[in-house]
Amino acid sequence: MTQHAVNVEAATARPAVTIRGLRKSFDGRQVLGGIDLDVPGGRIVSIIGQSGGGKTTLMRCVNLLEQPDDGVIEVNGEAICAGGAVTCKDLARLRQRVGMVFQRFNLFPHLTAVENVVLAQMHAAGIGEREAVERAVRLLTRVGLAHRATAYPERMSGGEQQRVAIARALALGPTVLLFDEPTSALDPESTGEVLRVMRELAADGMTMILVTHELPFAREVSDWVVFIDGGKIIEQGAAADVLDRPREARTRAYVAKYAASG
Amino acid sequence: MSPSDVFTGFLHVPWGDYAGNIGWGLARTLAYTVASFLGAAVLGLLLALMRLNRLRLVRLPAALYTEVFKNVPLLAIIFVTYFGLPSVGIKLSVFAAGVLSLVLFYAAYLSEIFRAAIAGIHSGQNEAAQALGLGRGTTFGHVVLPQALRLALPGTNTMFVDLLKSTSLLVTISAAELMTQAQLIASETFRALEVYLVIAAIYFAVCYPVSQSLLWLERTIQAGVPLSRGRRRRLRLARTLLAGETP
Repeated sequence: MTQHAVNVEAATARPAVTIRGLRKSFDGRQVLGGIDLDVPGGRIVSIIGQSGGGKTTLMRCVNLLEQPDDGVIEVNGEAICAGGAVTCKDLARLRQRVGMVFQRFNLFPHLTAVENVVLAQMHAAGIGEREAVERAVRLLTRVGLAHRATAYPERMSGGEQQRVAIARALALGPTVLLFDEPTSALDPESTGEVLRVMRELAADGMTMILVTHELPFAREVSDWVVFIDGGKIIEQGAAADVLDRPREARTRAYVAKYAASG
Repeated sequence: MSPSDVFTGFLHVPWGDYAGNIGWGLARTLAYTVASFLGAAVLGLLLALMRLNRLRLVRLPAALYTEVFKNVPLLAIIFVTYFGLPSVGIKLSVFAAGVLSLVLFYAAYLSEIFRAAIAGIHSGQNEAAQALGLGRGTTFGHVVLPQALRLALPGTNTMFVDLLKSTSLLVTISAAELMTQAQLIASETFRALEVYLVIAAIYFAVCYPVSQSLLWLERTIQAGVPLSRGRRRRLRLARTLLAGETP
């Protein structure tokens, strides 16, 4: 317990993810126009903003699903890319440290829940079969899905699938988790379950970055909120400050729009 | 000849004397089918992957191949490989020529089925695999291919039975398979109707159970029954662990 607390303390002391001067264009259209962002260890940071504003692209750069055109990203103090080149020597290892949970879950439909959690352990991390299955069962139990371990994704609700996706990402022992619109495909009850899991992970010191449109969810779950528009950070701060007392006009307009529609 | 004459006609064929011919013919038919199907599946998969490649230079030859062999009769391919190629110095045995023809022809059809199946896998599957640190080979082998096989199974099954029936065209190069034996028996007994009816019934007796068992396989996989030993072992282990944790 004490050991654990020390780890969390150490994790929060330095940024888990540091981004400097990040730029990315698709077919000549600039999506990210120079982003600087620090994500302290053990925090939950929400990135909000209009669709097409670059927030998903920003997140996908952190595990190099997108390769930036320019700028530096450091994960746990190690530069994974600089000046448009990938400097991370081992992509598989990076992705074990930076897990990702997708908007549409993207579970492997031909495998049961437990096999979804086992696959990358065995074939990306080289963990033995027995240990991989044991860990998968432990993680599914942790996200409240022990009774669904041998079910196929198509037989599961959206919330159950999302929790399997979280267990699958956790199985590789990441220190950072990325969530792309984690609740947009979920009903309110399932959203509550995902929220509970994320809070437990936060209590264990996991660093989380999420992209979301759902401002109530962002307020509930995150410590820090970053508003992005036109590929630039317009405003950032504690969740309550940005969402309840936005300083910038563009943030105010966005918050008003989504508060009204949500 | 009345229907009852046909019935008594069956008795005039000394079937016992020809049991060996029919058995051998059936064995040859199955040998042609299995060898050709394996070859066609490998070539078909290769062609499908080529057609899904990013490079036009790789896609083009595969597309050209598929279009050519889809639009030429199988009989013409058989004649070219067996009767035509010797004139340019390539002399193939009957078996080699027969298998080659069937492979060339059915690979074109199978490549279409495989291409559609692989293209039908959602791009999110590749992304999820990438985000988990799986390499390209592992992603294809453990994520894309198993799903694509499920999508390709119905069409592939149809092609398998079609190929089995098409081996009868090899009668034209005296391949010693079932149809060739039928021709031989008919010419010796002068009972064409009875002989060909019996041979047709044998084709049916082989094809029907094959297509039914392939349908069964389809339904079994669809129902989520794990077929590989590794999967069964992992699921058993998971169940044991779960039973221990929740008594």
